[in-house]
Amino acid sequence: MTLPEEYLRAREMVSYEKCPMHLVYVKTAFALVLGALGVLVPLVLMVRRGRAARGLAIGLVIGSNLMGCFVAALCLWRDIDPNLDLSNFTPFPFKLGIDKLSALFLLLICTVATPVAVFATSYFARHYAEARRNWMWAFFSLFLLSMIVVVAASTGFAFLAGWELMTLVSAALILIEGDTTERRHNLFIYLLMMHAGAAAVAASFFLFLPYSHSLDFAAIRASAAAMPSAARVAIFLTAFLGFGAKAGLIPLHLWLPRAHPIAPSPVSALMSGIMLKTAVYGFVRFGFDFLGGTSLWGGYLVLLVAAVTGVLGILYAIAEHDLKRLLAYSSVENIGIIFLGLGTSLIFLSHHAPLGATLALIAALLHAYNHALFKSLLFLGAGALSDATHSVDLNELGGLQRRMPVTGAAVLVGCCSIAGLPFFNGFISEWLTFRGFLAGATLINTKAQVILPLMVGILALIGGLAAACFVNVFGIALLGRPRSAGAEHAQEVPLGMRAGLWMLGAGCVGIGIFPGILLRPLASLAQALVPGAGVPEETINIAREIPYAAAIVLGTVAVIGMFKRKERLARTWACGLPGLSSRMQYTSTVFSKPIRFVFARVYRPDRKIEQIPADQPYFPASISYQSVRTTSYERAIYRPFVESVVSLAHRLRRLQTGNIQVYLLYIFLAIVLLLAVLRFQR
Amino acid sequence: MKIATDILQALVLILGAPLVRGIVALLKARLQRRRGASIWRPYSDVLKLFSKEDLVPPTSSLIFRVAPVVLFAAVVCMTAFIPIVHASALFGWRGDLFLFVYLLALGRFFLSLGALDGGSAFGGMGASREALVSSLAEAPFLLGLVAVAILSARVDIAGMVGWTLQQNFFNISTVHILAFTALAMVALAETGRMPVDNPTTHLELTMIHEGMVLEYSGPSAALIEWASAIKLHAMLALLIALFVPWGMTETNSWDSLALALFFYCIKIGLFAVLLSFIESAVAKLRMYLVPDFLGVAAALSALAVIFTMWVKR
Repeated sequence: MTLPEEYLRAREMVSYEKCPMHLVYVKTAFALVLGALGVLVPLVLMVRRGRAARGLAIGLVIGSNLMGCFVAALCLWRDIDPNLDLSNFTPFPFKLGIDKLSALFLLLICTVATPVAVFATSYFARHYAEARRNWMWAFFSLFLLSMIVVVAASTGFAFLAGWELMTLVSAALILIEGDTTERRHNLFIYLLMMHAGAAAVAASFFLFLPYSHSLDFAAIRASAAAMPSAARVAIFLTAFLGFGAKAGLIPLHLWLPRAHPIAPSPVSALMSGIMLKTAVYGFVRFGFDFLGGTSLWGGYLVLLVAAVTGVLGILYAIAEHDLKRLLAYSSVENIGIIFLGLGTSLIFLSHHAPLGATLALIAALLHAYNHALFKSLLFLGAGALSDATHSVDLNELGGLQRRMPVTGAAVLVGCCSIAGLPFFNGFISEWLTFRGFLAGATLINTKAQVILPLMVGILALIGGLAAACFVNVFGIALLGRPRSAGAEHAQEVPLGMRAGLWMLGAGCVGIGIFPGILLRPLASLAQALVPGAGVPEETINIAREIPYAAAIVLGTVAVIGMFKRKERLARTWACGLPGLSSRMQYTSTVFSKPIRFVFARVYRPDRKIEQIPADQPYFPASISYQSVRTTSYERAIYRPFVESVVSLAHRLRRLQTGNIQVYLLYIFLAIVLLLAVLRFQR
Repeated sequence: MKIATDILQALVLILGAPLVRGIVALLKARLQRRRGASIWRPYSDVLKLFSKEDLVPPTSSLIFRVAPVVLFAAVVCMTAFIPIVHASALFGWRGDLFLFVYLLALGRFFLSLGALDGGSAFGGMGASREALVSSLAEAPFLLGLVAVAILSARVDIAGMVGWTLQQNFFNISTVHILAFTALAMVALAETGRMPVDNPTTHLELTMIHEGMVLEYSGPSAALIEWASAIKLHAMLALLIALFVPWGMTETNSWDSLALALFFYCIKIGLFAVLLSFIESAVAKLRMYLVPDFLGVAAALSALAVIFTMWVKR
């Protein structure tokens, strides 16, 4: 296919930018970002307490994020790839390098973290006393550093170090917020699953070792083509498992709705918006960059898991009325959409259709970016609402749009984006995913010819349910009458929080109307990952046409808005009764009831009714009713697994006799065994 | 000239919409042996509402006032996609079928928010039911359109219509029959007609769309009424354009356009007869049977997509 002119021109522009001088600046800037986040900020906060020190630390966090944006943008738009070799300071090869894929995710981290930090400045100040606030900021900064290291790593050790730091620091951030038995339980599950995932990720790195003899990304990449297919399959599966656990693919999502709600809102925003994306990054790095695709069934496996994740994720989200848990489940759904794109891309790759693969990959990467924007926006919004009302239970909110219009409007932007409505960023990436599925129809005489177009139905179902879910969120939480005293007396949040919200909101609308800004660099990034592909025309098309459609809609709105309308306040019709109270409104639980009723088989709630006294069914003194959902995974998958592990541990306990002679025997046996192994290896 | 034709088509869809509604209402009345109101009645309704004042609940926010405007704007934008007399449209770009469906969702999203902003039980009731119906209707809607798109190897609605025009009516494929049935069922659900929703009901237990708009009055109500009329007209026009486009012109001369418009009026008249017949003959479905209804539509549209494999292209 012939490339459109603008892309050719963009490519010519990059060639002269390769001069070394720029490279030095970019390298220095990147090193400064790492140094500030990793060393300076924690140091400043440890050494000095007080306003000035904290102000300096916050300034450093925001400043280094802005600089990170700049570095990432240079690497993404101009072909600069700076690298830093820190192996001299570490016991293992620790190299960082920013190629285009890393640059995209670095951009994601820094553009999202900046508004979150702005928001956190006033959020932390209102919620934590001095000492805890310092800890918060120190770990906040380290958390950002760990994620930057993950996406910028160019050796396996650097990647794994960042990966581990990321888990531990986020756990610390959750623990600072508060410490109860339930929180510890949830945190334990989070750490357990993250480490199981990290083990799988490490395994997939080490499986390369026999062929690449080094964990340098360049060596891995070079060795992958010559590897036997069994090793490739093993690596693909362990990587999918490891990154799937981090991303929250069903059934590995168990930690997600537990860990995200208990973190402070800005941290939830980072975890949901950015940390999940590092898993997407890792999967793309392994699946596309290292392995260069997989066998056909691998693509279908990803597609299937993603479809299940998407549909179930949004169904669970609808059933929640705790706003933060709802958002966590909706992250599961969006990860499903991202992996739908990745799976489609893998299927195209194994059918040797690079153009379709590029399209689906661009869709997935753009959705990752978009989700980072709108999900952090919504988590920050949840933080703002709970700040104003002291509740994140949808059934206790209401009427907040009147009381906090600026925050409310930002949340509305987030809801529209996540529901995939046109002129907001979620639509662009869903549209591209749809087009990726539709392009599957061109794979004549394959199963994909029918399966991929049918996935349009799955994504449409997800989209429809997401729209329903976020009508529920915005309509119940911010519209109508307040349902509690907290909501009744809510006041607009301080400027810092509003500013953070609107920085993200502007990003959502900007990409939604002018998607070309990101689609161009994404196209060249996808071309670097998928060899032999051109620029899919769809990406150019949507960038050209969406502004026109937006102009028609906005124009119509403006024309109608110009007419002056007479208005009179009148109470809502109450069927002739004296007046409506807030209890007559629909709550979130009732709103979602029809959908829960239709999909009752998915939820399979455990219902418990207790009557007191039990022997008089018709004259109970009190009845309590309890309904617990989404426990079927625990019952079907996790509990048997945990039980077998525990019983195995019990059996192994017999080894521990407490007798020193027996331990000496163990040591002796171990030495003999090792000697035997050494003998036979030669 | 092409642009003038395209704008004309959009205007016919927008301005003719109340008339289609009036015709359906009259035909329904006659089928039920009532006299019925004049076919121009929806116009006078809209005009009357525009001249009145808006009654706004004191507890509501700006969303209550903005929602009808966004709904109307989204629906107006939808009309720019559908060819009615000439096989082209203002928006004839590739992939616009997804934007078309999602514009519908945009309008619905805001109308549901407006309903919840009223703060009464009816608004929530309507919005909650609408959320169920529309979230299940989206999949068959897109799959039906996708089936036709695969068949014609075009992804813009105008392009699909252009392709269908070249085909022989008697050479019609299974895919078309399946997709048409599915899309017709979806159209009934999306526009809130029987058997999914009763547009003339004022009994709260059966209301979906009417429940949502109960609190609106004056110009806002006028916009909503007009928008839902346009939605009905646009869905009928979409079915006509995709499945029976024959009679459309491919030249841009005035006389051929006039002839095509004449054919279009006949076709839309036939669809109106069909619609009023269905509405009179069929009882409204129980709320929880609607998912089954849409499930059938989804199955049909999925079959349509599967059958594209065996149809020669």
